Amino acid sequence: MLQYFIRRLLFAVPTFFGCTIIVFFIVNLAPGGPYEQQVQALKAGSGFGIGSEASGTAKDGAATIPPTALAELKRYYGFDKPVYVRYLIWLGLWQRETDSYNVKLGEPRNVGNGNFVIVSKQSDGTYSIVDKETNESRSHVWTAENAVLDSTGFRQLRVFKTEYAGILTGHFGNSYEYREPVIDLIASRIPISLQFGVIGLVLSYVICVYLGIQKALRHGSTFDLVSSSTILISYSIPGWALGLLLLVLLGGGSFFDVFPLGGLQSRDYESLSLGEKILDRAHHFVLPVIASTIQSFATLTLLMKNSLLENLSQDYIRTAFAKGLKEKRIIWLHAMRNSVIPIAANIGHIIGIAFVGSFFIETTFNIEGIGKLSYYAILSRDYTVVFAFTVIGVMVNLFGAIISDFVLALIDPRIRFR
Amino acid sequence: MSQIIQKSVSRSIGQRRWKKFKTIKRGYYSLVILTTLYILSFLLPILVNDKALIVRYNGEYHFPAFSSLVASIPVIDQFVSVFQSGESLGQIDNPGQVRYRALQQQYENENGDNYVVMPIYPYGPIEDITTDGNSAFMKPMVAEEGQTARIMGTDENGRDVFARMAYGFKVSISFALILVFLEYLIGIPIGGLLGFKGGYYDMIGQRILEMWATLPTLFLIIIVVSFIQPSFILLVLLLSLTAWIPITTYIRAEFYREKSKDYVAAAISIGVPTWKIMFKHILPNSLVPVITNFPFAVVAGITALVALDFLGFGLPPPTPSWGQMLSTGLQNLTKWWLVFSPMVALFTTLIMIVFIGEAIREAFDPKTFSRLR
Repeated sequence: MLQYFIRRLLFAVPTFFGCTIIVFFIVNLAPGGPYEQQVQALKAGSGFGIGSEASGTAKDGAATIPPTALAELKRYYGFDKPVYVRYLIWLGLWQRETDSYNVKLGEPRNVGNGNFVIVSKQSDGTYSIVDKETNESRSHVWTAENAVLDSTGFRQLRVFKTEYAGILTGHFGNSYEYREPVIDLIASRIPISLQFGVIGLVLSYVICVYLGIQKALRHGSTFDLVSSSTILISYSIPGWALGLLLLVLLGGGSFFDVFPLGGLQSRDYESLSLGEKILDRAHHFVLPVIASTIQSFATLTLLMKNSLLENLSQDYIRTAFAKGLKEKRIIWLHAMRNSVIPIAANIGHIIGIAFVGSFFIETTFNIEGIGKLSYYAILSRDYTVVFAFTVIGVMVNLFGAIISDFVLALIDPRIRFR
Repeated sequence: MSQIIQKSVSRSIGQRRWKKFKTIKRGYYSLVILTTLYILSFLLPILVNDKALIVRYNGEYHFPAFSSLVASIPVIDQFVSVFQSGESLGQIDNPGQVRYRALQQQYENENGDNYVVMPIYPYGPIEDITTDGNSAFMKPMVAEEGQTARIMGTDENGRDVFARMAYGFKVSISFALILVFLEYLIGIPIGGLLGFKGGYYDMIGQRILEMWATLPTLFLIIIVVSFIQPSFILLVLLLSLTAWIPITTYIRAEFYREKSKDYVAAAISIGVPTWKIMFKHILPNSLVPVITNFPFAVVAGITALVALDFLGFGLPPPTPSWGQMLSTGLQNLTKWWLVFSPMVALFTTLIMIVFIGEAIREAFDPKTFSRLR
């Protein structure tokens, strides 16, 4: 058993690399990436440069951007290296340039925190880097190399630090768009999406299990038929489309003004008392939660119903009835114990959904959650964020399946994975 | 059950399933209605169109709606031109595409021998403010003077909502059907091979499937669409990139189970080639999940197209599509008919397909639950 899970985890490793490689290469080789967009913006003269040099050329409004600025841009986005090197850097298996400064030979240069270094050329053609104050060699920290010619034709040097920093070392990089660490960005959005996810998860499990049991016990009755149709209808409607319909009906556009049009809280949220705050949140949550859970209703309810029905027609139930046990006891203790197994096994996948969020629901209801963040990252080609989400997506998928198996093995002693 | 067996001569399992399917009214009627509507949708150019069925001008007859019917067939549309200038039919000072509704009124006023016969619903899905001088945001059931009422009004570009809804039906269903066909075309052979070969093939194949399944399809589509103009075919191909994975899993499990049965061993022992065993002997016995999954795959296909169109990464404008209509509706929430029309069309279609799917599943399910007590 333990062996099985270890093997599953080991299998996850090549899958993870394979998947990230495919996504990384496709995204990087596709035209119209952040570098090209930035160059476009600079050419249009409306761009915001990354360095003083770049924005200076932008103000001139000329279509010619000096090669130094281009090179600097390219280096900023890491596009001066081949794709496979970029992938290794992203993983953290290749050295990443962190701080980079332009220096002139022999002149002291501030490299942050008030430290000055002097670069000089040695007789064998290599560069030596020494601290200005202590005169100690700093070559183990800084590397120097020829930079491209600047606009005046003056050859400059560049010193930079290198380190292994990638996703394997927990370094997801900075977002191009928001200029802040991707981790912080995602962490700030997770609570919002998770609130939905958890509320939706709990609600749908409670309702579906109860409904499924009732349907199984009254199999073939009018209640069963009516609820089956309702469930089938709810299954066939995409959640976000239903959300849209509810917005039109109840959002105050054309018909009834019952629920807010979107967002998480009212404008005067901060001034409300605790009770009112909770009510306000709940008021905003109703429509999005309905929209995001409606489609999982059918699968869960029917799973519960069929699994209970199947158990009720088993021999051990017949035996239990034969020895004179009460019906309630048979259903709730004997049949239920076996019927919840497939339901519980579903949990791994559903946890994943709660983490990834649904950008459809979030865009429809204008909620600043994870889903919306990932969607806009793709639109604005914010690659560091996109890759972070790829990693999360792959992990959630792989581990969701493993968690499901684990839960299955945990609650069903008959199941033995080999 | 026992009665059926007594009076039946001998029915194949397929006939028995079909009979059971027919008894499930909800699914059966949905199938009948949807099939009829889909077949009718191919005649849309002569039912719902802004081009006239017949134009008689100075003794000559023209059939513009029929040429647009011919032009609605892929491939052939490259060779057929539906353009007819207004001047050639007596619509002076209109060198562009003739406006048939205006032409009809003009001929009536002239009171001559010329006449125009319009289709039942004389509005097209693409004509808008610029081409026909329609007004934008017309309310449902309101008519411009002297003309047929527009059932669902017009959208922000003055395009007829009902016509777009009708044409969107054909686009959506065709898209989903082709997508599912491709899914099966890729998924069945691969799933069959994995299940039949087993061993290392299966192990490595499973890992590759896992990788492929985690591909963020939607994001890839958004990226691809940003540098290639999307078309019907391109979108089908992009969506089918990952959509075949589920069917592969089903087929793999079926083949895995079937290959250990005696008839396969018998076939192997008399030297039947592998491909023949796979496709002639095992495949017909493994089709149950493929057939029962079919309607749900169609639902997934329609939903995917609507979602892409809704986000603006789908079929290029002005192709009539429900997703694009929904997104227009979201931008104009006060114009309720813009959201309602595509929504009603989408929901009814999806619900009917799900009803069919549920009925098929039940017809194929040999299990009858017998509850004690």
